[in-house]
Amino acid sequence: MRREGSPFTGTGAVFAKEYADHLGSARMRVIEALVVIVGVVVVWVAMRDLKDKVTQDQFIFLRLFTYAPESNPVNFAGLLTFLIPLVAIGLGFDAINGEFNRRTMSRVLSQPIYRDALLIGKFLAGLATLATGLIALWLLVMGGGLIVLGVPPSGEEVARGLAFLVIATAYGGVWLAIAMLCSIIFRSAATSALTALGIWLFFSFLWPVIAPAIFDGILPLIAPQRVLAGSATADDVAGLLDVQQLIMRFSPTVVFQEAWLGVFSPDQFTEQQIMRIRLDPRLGHRVIPGSPLSFGQSLLMVWPQFTFMVAGAIVIFTLGYVSFQRQEVRA
Amino acid sequence: MRRALVLLVSLLSITIFPALAADPPAQPRVTGLWLITEYPSTVAKPGETTTVKLKLQNAGLAPEALALSVANVPQGWKVDILGGGQVVGAAMPAINESVTLNLRLELPANTAPGTYPVTVNAKGATNNAELKLAITVGGDVAAKLSMKTRLPALRGTPKSSFEYTFTVSNDSGKDLVVRFAADGPRGFQPTFTEAFGSNEINQIPIEAGQTKDIKVRVGLPRDVAAGDYTVKVRATAENVTAETPVTLQIVGTPTLRVSGRDGRLSGAAEAGTASPVIMIVSNEGSAVAEDIELTGTMPSGWTVEFEPKLIDKLPPGEKKEVTAQIKPTAKALAGDYIATLRAAAKAGDSASADFRVAVTTSTLWGIVGIGVIAVALLVLVGAVARFGRR
Repeated sequence: MRREGSPFTGTGAVFAKEYADHLGSARMRVIEALVVIVGVVVVWVAMRDLKDKVTQDQFIFLRLFTYAPESNPVNFAGLLTFLIPLVAIGLGFDAINGEFNRRTMSRVLSQPIYRDALLIGKFLAGLATLATGLIALWLLVMGGGLIVLGVPPSGEEVARGLAFLVIATAYGGVWLAIAMLCSIIFRSAATSALTALGIWLFFSFLWPVIAPAIFDGILPLIAPQRVLAGSATADDVAGLLDVQQLIMRFSPTVVFQEAWLGVFSPDQFTEQQIMRIRLDPRLGHRVIPGSPLSFGQSLLMVWPQFTFMVAGAIVIFTLGYVSFQRQEVRA
Repeated sequence: MRRALVLLVSLLSITIFPALAADPPAQPRVTGLWLITEYPSTVAKPGETTTVKLKLQNAGLAPEALALSVANVPQGWKVDILGGGQVVGAAMPAINESVTLNLRLELPANTAPGTYPVTVNAKGATNNAELKLAITVGGDVAAKLSMKTRLPALRGTPKSSFEYTFTVSNDSGKDLVVRFAADGPRGFQPTFTEAFGSNEINQIPIEAGQTKDIKVRVGLPRDVAAGDYTVKVRATAENVTAETPVTLQIVGTPTLRVSGRDGRLSGAAEAGTASPVIMIVSNEGSAVAEDIELTGTMPSGWTVEFEPKLIDKLPPGEKKEVTAQIKPTAKALAGDYIATLRAAAKAGDSASADFRVAVTTSTLWGIVGIGVIAVALLVLVGAVARFGRR
């Protein structure tokens, strides 16, 4: 039987209600406090150090996001790599099963809205909440930077900062989709939260250890004969490194790290590129050191990472959608 | 033949020299005391000091103290006799020896022109000597300078150094301060130095009768045309001038220059794709540059092709656009690289310029990324269509 009208009728209503609920919830207060306190402390420490150590820097504002003082080797962007999944999971782990547990699901669905609208509305509301928090934090950092550094950011720095915001939101979208998938699959909110956190722990901390092991395992299968014989060319090694990096990139955390490094480090090669040059010095021949990449080139460099995160979020959301559609909703 | 000549000469010497030794030229043996000067009649200027060199010669007489005095000194003149740099009143030459003395005359500024006789006396107990001098006042001594050079014409390219060495003589009877100058075509820069010195000078004192070697180096403007040029080198002192023309024969050379269009030495190239960079080869020299070969030093793995590959002829003052197709390796990392483009003429001159080539990466992956998102969205839409419930 064909349904009538758009499946997304009522998305707006669900979005508005969910967004309001999120912003008003006690959970949001805790998340906000966590984000603001941690963010401000890290940036304040970085700024205090930057003011003393850096005399001239074209991208001084970007250093606020990436600078890690020796005493406290955590930079702002690196910290967000861990904080964003936590916040996203916090916002999404009981999105669907919460409705079931409060026995409100049938009441919501008795309204003239489809399940599609409910799911997408909840997802978008979570994403909007996350984005609101990120924008606030971003403004906080930029404003603090203005006060402490006393120089206005250049247009390019602002553009790069905004690109980071978009990338961070996409990264949050991946984790929000994962958290919502868990909330659809598991009826218990605690199980859902634990599973989502488990996935987060796995990809953030275990995957960087497991990936090289997997690579070592498949190395005999994929490596050309001459590499196994001990006479690898630079091209072979570069190719194998690409494979290893590809395995690493199954973790959204690794992808996000690559993306923000690309956006925030216009004047230096990324770690991966430096490794490439070390392997194949011809690539670094006659390079003008310290010449910054244009914004467009930086964007082009991180574009695959960004699209990976967006597409990943959509695919995970689709999985959740399919799973949700197949569930039975009883009164 | 030569041997016979040598033999003849030696035979002659044997016969002649003993004859000379046996019969020395008869020298009149004179005894006496004389006051001598080489120039008994000299010229002096009012208000100035003139020195007359004297010699008190004792020939075959017993030494004795001789009191020195000057007689007939005109009113107002200051006269001193100096010996060994000091004022002396007496002299005592040994037998067959002489004492050198200086008569210093200080003339008042208002001395009337004319010839003044002055007598110098040396009086001893037994012998006297007297010297009559005529001092002429008013006849001005003309300064006289001359200069000559051994190599008055040099040949070279606009880049070579044209250096002429001059010998400047002060032929007048007094010390002069000589100033140097040179007149040449516009843009020619003369520099004067001592012949074996590096200090630049524009004037130098030359004592009376002495010579000095002076080097003049003529700097040329960069764009000087081939041809013969004359530079007049002048030495001036007081109101006399010596002048010598020197010739510069300038042979034209091509001088190449490589630049970018509008002076822009940068370009962008996509990794793995040839991109054109416009370079401008100009000839700023004074002769036609022939067979200009174009080459480039690129980061490794890059290729460069020029269109045209070779410039047959480039007359002076003209420029030509060359398109260099620069192709970075497909694996090149985004960033700025140095590419050196070089133009070399067959005869010598070459020029190069460093171009900054910004490597951009292909936007292909960006489109692929959008495609990936589109596929994901399609999957979602498909799921909505397949699993949508009433």
